[in-house]
Order: sequence, then C-alpha cells, then structure tokens
Amino acid sequence: MKKKKIKQPISTKIKENQEFMKTKLGVGTSFDVGFRELTILNKGVQLYYLTGLCDTAIIVQLLRNIVSLNDKEKTSYKVAEKIEGELIHQQVTKVKTMDEGVDQLLSGLIVIFIEGEEEALVVDVRSYPGRSPKEPDTEKVVRGSRDGYTENIIENTALTRRRVRDERLRHEIIQVGERSKTDICISYLQDVADPGLLDVIKNELKNIEIDGISMADKTVEEYLVKQGISPFPLVRYTERPDVASSHLFEGHILVMVDTSPSMIIMPTTYFHHVQHAEEYRESPTVGTFIRWVRFIGIFASIFLLPMWLLMVMQPELLPEKLQFIGPNEVGNIPIVFQLLAADIGIEFLRMAAIHTPTPLSTAMGLIAAVLIGQIAIDVGLFSAEVILYVAISAIGSFATPSYELSIANKISRVILIIVTSLFGLKGMVIGFTLYVLLLVLTRSMNTPYLWPFIPFNGKAMVQILFRVSVPLTKSRPSIVHPRNNNRQP
Amino acid sequence: MVNGKLEQNKQQKPVSLLSKALITGFIGGVFWSFIGAIASYFNFTSVSPASFILRFWLHTGWSDGWLGQLVSIVIIGVLSTILALVYYVLLKNTQGIWPSALFGVALWFVVFYLLQPIFPNVEHMTKLTSDTIVTTFCLYLLYGIFIGYSISYEYQSNLISENV
Repeated sequence: MKKKKIKQPISTKIKENQEFMKTKLGVGTSFDVGFRELTILNKGVQLYYLTGLCDTAIIVQLLRNIVSLNDKEKTSYKVAEKIEGELIHQQVTKVKTMDEGVDQLLSGLIVIFIEGEEEALVVDVRSYPGRSPKEPDTEKVVRGSRDGYTENIIENTALTRRRVRDERLRHEIIQVGERSKTDICISYLQDVADPGLLDVIKNELKNIEIDGISMADKTVEEYLVKQGISPFPLVRYTERPDVASSHLFEGHILVMVDTSPSMIIMPTTYFHHVQHAEEYRESPTVGTFIRWVRFIGIFASIFLLPMWLLMVMQPELLPEKLQFIGPNEVGNIPIVFQLLAADIGIEFLRMAAIHTPTPLSTAMGLIAAVLIGQIAIDVGLFSAEVILYVAISAIGSFATPSYELSIANKISRVILIIVTSLFGLKGMVIGFTLYVLLLVLTRSMNTPYLWPFIPFNGKAMVQILFRVSVPLTKSRPSIVHPRNNNRQP
Repeated sequence: MVNGKLEQNKQQKPVSLLSKALITGFIGGVFWSFIGAIASYFNFTSVSPASFILRFWLHTGWSDGWLGQLVSIVIIGVLSTILALVYYVLLKNTQGIWPSALFGVALWFVVFYLLQPIFPNVEHMTKLTSDTIVTTFCLYLLYGIFIGYSISYEYQSNLISENV
C-alpha cells in the first residue's frame, strides 16, 4: 500500500508558505518555477506559476484585475473574497493543503496565497506545448476524418466528446506515478460497458506504484495485462478518434494516458488487430474485399515461407500441377539460411527506415530493394525464389493493420521456419498447431484471444469475415459483455 | 432509459445454446475437413476427408477429385453436428481447453483405431506414415478444441450472464 503522506496545511502566515515553497519546491533554485509578490489592500499576496505551461496573457489580465482592487476598494475587509471575485476565469478552485497546491502548480496552474487565509486559490491557466490534431501516420485512410489524437489528454477527451455527445459517456481521471503524476483517463459508456471489466481496470490502475510512466500507454498496458513472453499484442491501440468512438459504442473501454496519442482499447482479441478503419469507409462489398486481401496478406506473412521451405526440402509433397515450384538452382547456401538471412535483411531495412529522415529513407529503400537483392542473386548468395517469397511475406507483414501484430507474426514465422528446417513436415504441422494453441490459450483481460474463431461465435465471425453494413449490425459484440446489447434503440 | 427493465434494454432473444452448438459443430466439421483436404492435396497425409466418406464404398473417378472432397466436407459437417450434440450433452460442463483437446485425441483414436476396419482403403494405424499420423492427430486435436471449447465456453458465459 502507498504510504499516506502527512499533508501540510496552508498557513495563514504567508512567510511560512513561502518557506515551504522554497525548501520543498526549490523556488529560486529551479528556474522554471516562478513567483510574484503583490500587496493588495495591505495584505501580502503571492502568486506561483510554472513558466512554459501557463498562458501569460491570461495571467497578466488576472493580475491587472487584482491590482485594480487597490484603487477601487478602501477597506481590507474580506480581501480573499474580493480577490476571488476579480479572478475572471471559469476554472477557479480552492485548496487547503500545500501539497495539493504544489501538485496543481506543477500541472501548470497558478496558485495564489493570500495573507491570513487558510486556503489558496488555484486558477487553471494551462497551455501545454503540443501539436495540433493531425492524421496519424499509422492509420491513414483514403477518405474520412483527418484528425488524430495528440499528446494532450484534454484535447483527446475533447476529440472523443466531439463524436460521442452522450451524457452517459464517462471520462474518469486518475493520477498515476509518484513523481510523474501522469493523468490517466478511463472512458466508457456508463450504461453499456462491462462493470466487471471496469472495476478490474480501475483497480489495476490504482495499484500501479511507480516513479513515473514516461513511456505512457505502453507502461500502463504492461500493468493491465499479463503479457508474459507471448509476443502477441494484448490490447489494441488507436490514434484515430473515429475508431476509438466506434469502439466506445460497441461497449469497449478506452484508457487514455496523458503524453501519448495512442488510446488503449479493451477488451481486445486477435481479430481486432486485423481490422482497419479503411474498411468502414468503403461500401460493404469493397470493405469485405479489402479485408480478405488483407487476411491473405497476413496469412502469407506467417505461413508462406515455412510452407515453401517445406516444399523445397521435400519436393515429393508437391502436387503434380505445382511441380514448377522450387528453386532452379539451389545456390551455395542452404535455403533455410537464405530465408533467415533475407528475412533479417528486411528487418534491417524496416528498422533503419524508422529512424532515417524521410528523404534519405526513400533512397535507402531503393538501394536495399533493387541493388542488394539483385546483387545477392548475381553473386550466387541467394536464389531468386527466396527473394520473391521473402518479399511477399514481408509485404504481407506490412499489410497487417496492427504494427504490433505484424512483428509478433514475424517472430512466429521465424520460429516456424526453424522448426520446419529441423523437423520437416512434422515440425511444420506441429508448429502450426502450437501457434493456434498458443493463441487459444492466450487471454487478454479474461477475454479469449482467438474469439470469435475459437471459441466459435457465428454472429461475430460473420462480422469478422464480412464487412457487414452498419444498419444491419443490430447488436453489440458479446465479447465486451455489454449491459445494453442493442445498438439501435 | 436508465431502468434496465425497459424493453429496449433487454437482450435480443438469444439463439439457443443447443442450436449454437450445432452450428459450431457444422462449421467446425467443414472448416477442419477443408484444412484436411488441403493437407492431403499437399500430400501431408495419405488420407483425406473423401477417404472416410466416399472412397471406401465408391470407386468412381470423381470421388477422388475435388468434387469428392467437397461432398465429403459437407457430409463431415453434418456428421460433426452429431459430435457437437454428443459433446453438448456429455461435456458442456467442462472448463478450459484441455477436456476438448482430449476429446479431439479420443476422436482420433476412435476413427483411426476402432472404426478403421470399416475403411478398407485406410491402412491400419501402425502402417500409416508418421507424417500422416502427426498431421491427422493435430487436425483432430484442433477440431476437438474448436468444437469442445466453443460449446463449453458458450455454456459457461451463458451461466454467468444468467447469474448477473
């Protein structure tokens, strides 16, 4: 359990407060914490602020109002109330302890201490440095909204609220991190979301004991789900407000972490990671077509290479009509090493592309794809077919909408290639079985990961296999255990 | 609106558990025998869905082709509903995936050992290639999990939602 700190009350002697701020907060040492002392109607007034997180224009206006009290008023009777009256702002609150005041101050609010008062006034004048909403790079659509979540949790709740103007939408906020005091917001539809899951999430979040969560959403995810060594992503992330809100409507729970534009969607299954907003921006038929092509891509990204390797190792398995498959020249290196080397080569390329500036990475892609591949074949390092199949399965990985899933599948593929090369057909078959078994056994927040395939749910499986038009989708998916099953009241 | 007793807040009349189980059985039979057909196309196994359904009494040309496989797959789907019914009646109370995995394994023994004399075209268990054994064993295991786990999960979650 957390140690309960003894909270220091705000003193009526303003010098004591100043001393506290000096020793505890390092006012005067830390250059980003500033303060200004004024005398209003013969009472000392101190204003503390954090440079960089406040909107100076508003503070100046508020100060002007307060100082004008010296001209307007004669008596120093009820100074605090008069000052509060001059703080022309919609978010003015009072705090009773120094610690609360300091917390607020460090969030970018201004704290005003008044001599002789046991309460300090806190005004929300925050203005965080940040970017404006922009289409997320990882989830682009051809048509549809181009706004995306930002690093600012307030903006993020606003973007959600823009789409869900429901009085039953709840944004509950809690602070996590002893030092970082990061805001985490749990969003859900009060009359739809599963209360059991909600309790679990809230409990897990409250029990997080850590200095700070600078890696925001990812750290929170690791506290929420028991990942173990499984590489599969147990929660879905989205940076698109439209995707997030449509999940809210389905009955999912959203966890927003300040400083991260990625929202956590829970509960999540494997098949959440193979859907994309684009499918819902096209007609149902086109959406279904896109989805099937994507399925083929994902399937190829896992099973194409091991399967081809098996056919190379045991050509007698090939049906007569497919006898042409298999390398014409085996090359100088065993095929399995060629596959692994080529796969790792593509991984080099992908990683390098992440932290290479865009103009350079285009050139790098050309060099890698054209030159290295061709030369590797010419010097007899690789056989041409290896390049072909590795390329197809790499493109399949890129066609996976979830970046996390595509990497998990890549690891599965490498393991399948290795067991196939060691044990041949049996390795491949048992490897496939274990892959399915592992997914069946995985649970994310008590949700079977491979639902609705195993355990099978016909209605939901139809929703996965076909992009069903929205008017025909009458009920919410049963996996979220919605309190209200009807999507069309 | 807040009142949970209003009609619009009621859950839609659910498909009964039994019919869900039967649908699961049919889909499971079709899906996994389809995988089996692909496996036999790539010579992973010497037996295919058609060997059990058609080939032991039909020796026409079509029964060995894709049409034969297709017909067999549908028939296995229908037979599989019976298995699902059996699982529903006997084992729906079980939890987790292991009882259903055992169910699949048991089914494999029944088909390849007990029922084997019915199929003169399928060799005795001991004479099958190890590849065939591994492939069919894995398929039956996954089939068992598909059928069994789906039925028991559906049953359990139904119990929970009734208790709430």
